[in-house]
Amino acid sequence: MTLTTSPTAQERLPRLTGKAGRYATVLLRTYGIVLAFAVLVAVVAASSPGFATRTNIFNLFSQWAPAGILAVAMTYVILAGGFDLSIASGFSLCAVTAAAIGRTEDPAVAFLAALAVGLAIGLVNGVLVEGAKINPFITTVGTGFILNGIALVATGNIAYVVDNPDFGTIGAGAWHGFPYSGMILIFCLVAGGLVLAKTVYGQSIYAVGGNAEASRLSGIRVGTTVGSTYVLSGLAMGVAGIIAASQLNSAQANIDPNIVFDVITIVVVGGTSLGGGIGSMWRTAVGLGIVATISNAFSLADINPFYQDIVKGCIIIGALALDAYARRLAGRTRTRPGPAAVPAHPDAPPGGGDRGS
Amino acid sequence: MVLRAQGIHKSFPGVRALHDVDFDLRAGEVHGLVGENGAGKSTLVKIITGAYDADAGLVEAFGHEVRHGDPRARRRAGIAAIYQEPTTVPEMSAAANVFLGRPQRRGPFVSRSDTHRAFRQLTTRLGLTIDPDVRAGSLSVANQQMLEIMRALVADHRILIMDEPTASLGPTERERLYEAIHGLREEGVATVYVSHNLDEVLALCDRVSVMRDGGLVATKPVERWTKESLVTAMLGHVLEKPPPQRRTIAEEVVLRVEGLSVPGVLEEISFTVHRGEILGLGGLVGSGRTELLRALAGADSDADGRLFVRGQERPWPRTVRSALALGIALAPEDRKAQGLVLSLSAAANVSLTDMRTVASGPLLRERRRLARAAEFMRPLAFDASRLSESAGSFSGGNQQKLVVGKWLHRRPDVLLMDEFTRGIDVGAKAELLAVVRRLAAEGMSIIIVSSELEELVEGADRVLVLARGRLIGELGHAEAAVERILRLVFEVEEEAEEGLAT
Repeated sequence: MTLTTSPTAQERLPRLTGKAGRYATVLLRTYGIVLAFAVLVAVVAASSPGFATRTNIFNLFSQWAPAGILAVAMTYVILAGGFDLSIASGFSLCAVTAAAIGRTEDPAVAFLAALAVGLAIGLVNGVLVEGAKINPFITTVGTGFILNGIALVATGNIAYVVDNPDFGTIGAGAWHGFPYSGMILIFCLVAGGLVLAKTVYGQSIYAVGGNAEASRLSGIRVGTTVGSTYVLSGLAMGVAGIIAASQLNSAQANIDPNIVFDVITIVVVGGTSLGGGIGSMWRTAVGLGIVATISNAFSLADINPFYQDIVKGCIIIGALALDAYARRLAGRTRTRPGPAAVPAHPDAPPGGGDRGS
Repeated sequence: MVLRAQGIHKSFPGVRALHDVDFDLRAGEVHGLVGENGAGKSTLVKIITGAYDADAGLVEAFGHEVRHGDPRARRRAGIAAIYQEPTTVPEMSAAANVFLGRPQRRGPFVSRSDTHRAFRQLTTRLGLTIDPDVRAGSLSVANQQMLEIMRALVADHRILIMDEPTASLGPTERERLYEAIHGLREEGVATVYVSHNLDEVLALCDRVSVMRDGGLVATKPVERWTKESLVTAMLGHVLEKPPPQRRTIAEEVVLRVEGLSVPGVLEEISFTVHRGEILGLGGLVGSGRTELLRALAGADSDADGRLFVRGQERPWPRTVRSALALGIALAPEDRKAQGLVLSLSAAANVSLTDMRTVASGPLLRERRRLARAAEFMRPLAFDASRLSESAGSFSGGNQQKLVVGKWLHRRPDVLLMDEFTRGIDVGAKAELLAVVRRLAAEGMSIIIVSSELEELVEGADRVLVLARGRLIGELGHAEAAVERILRLVFEVEEEAEEGLAT
């Protein structure tokens, strides 16, 4: 395997030559993000002795469970070609619902109510985007404002505190030290990944996000498929809201208005394309790992947390630049005739060249 | 001589688009460029305007070589192009569009009064009445084209390329465009005029060049051309091929359409399709061929008419899914935009039409999917070992095979194929034609649309001719010939012109 600079490459792209070299290029393009994650973890572990400890890692799982679960659903929404910006206020409203009802009722009732609110939010978003054909960006910004308003009006922006200790089990409970919330997160990632990679439904999501018109002419229910991803997103708001309320034993409107940016960062950093149709759940898992590790590194190193935002911003832009770069490379592979014995796109969906899921 | 192109070669993967083309343009002439679809006219135009690079050859404008791949250099050389679809900025005023990039200014400010004055001078020069303040998007296509012509005049372009400018114009608007072109000729502007309308070309142009199969067949002064000689030159030496066996078509009528209308596009179309028949739809671009197929496939919901499937009346399909339920499927015109999900694998695309057959309950069976895709794609001479590569990595011909393979997977009774050979090479064309014949022999009814009339004549058992959204004729295999189809079409076009003119 030799690394050469192709003399014709106008932009001096590093090119690996030969069949094995081409394969290596694809591997690197596809799994480069995993390598980046590994390097990041190694660096942070080496510089902060507090990082690679059982407690810290378990804490991270519990801390990032709500954002991670929302990111699982966001992966569906983005792969299908949409966008959901209502998740922050939807998540708060679900948390507030759980806490409000949990003050007097059984936690199970409170959690079911929160899930029902999430489901309703998802249905409304899905119907507006697919039924009324309003741009998803605008629709979900609008519903986000409405949901935030509802949460503020209903609570008067006062935190609901729950005294019932059972209420905190999901959020704060653990099995041999591993938090239940982390288990829920892992379950969502695995189940979400399997459905996406292995089912007819998952395939429809890729198809619809990749080319809605071709999918429609193939007889796929495009509207229902896209709409369903917003319902999933709504359900994720419910689950995430329950976990957050349960962790804090309380909830307030505006519980975490910036969570929407974290969630989008997680999905995009993993390498799922904002254009739809390209990406996968393992990428979201890696993206979550990267974002969580960086933010943890900042607090372990006791750096002013405000710097975090600067870094996050740089990461988002860097990830998108990488995505654009990979697409250009892929485009070049595509136009080159003759058999390329490797998948043409660095990240094809299941059934595409990418064998990971 | 204002423009000279010499020894131009251009290939696309699998297609030789232009071969050793010499073309020249004199000051103050209108130079017609005709040829069948796929003959290379658009490619030549795009090389002259700089949208494409030539693989070999030289383009000179006003004695200076114009560097390849630099549209701006050509604009500086004074070449402007006007297409069928206007490229005005719809939200800006008519005057602002004309002076786009060259504002009439006083110091740093755009002068409204100067702009208006200059605009009025131009309209007077072209004999037009257009309000300078009107929103460009609210103007007719013809008037928007006039704005583009004015824009070219403002930039002092000496070469104007018009690609089918009259395709969407009514007769009076056409007249006005002809007058404008005459006016430009007086001022010494050279015009390349690409058109399918041979009468128009003969009436308007000073010289006419004919292209065929990527080569320039002949350039002659207009007096030395007739409509007949143009058609012959366009088609080349037409060999009357013996019909490849008279196929007997089953009596059984699979589909009967009565009074199909799509507002503004199709009027009262009625026809039948027999079992195992290959029915061709001929006509010019814009005659309603694509719309007819889309209406049948439930892809456009404003179609209306009566549909009988095997003798039984069914409600007109308004969704793709309801058409599929009736056994009607569409292989669309634009395989990249409508036919395939390029990011998915070839096998995934093939199975997209019927995922249940490759799944157990909700679970996809990857191995079964590959096996089934291979089963359908192998007979199409498709390399089955590449089925897990993404659809976007294949050539046009292979992509078109995937679009056909998709529907083999689903097995509709009636398959509609829009421009099924567009942009693919000769070998792949022959293979696809053979596939279509085999499917028909197996009992599938197929409606094909192609702008290449020869293909229809060769491939179809019967050809329906469309013009201006109406069905104007039906030719059996024995009588179908390119000239007959063209004659039918041009008769109607002329009548329509006259009818509208009076």
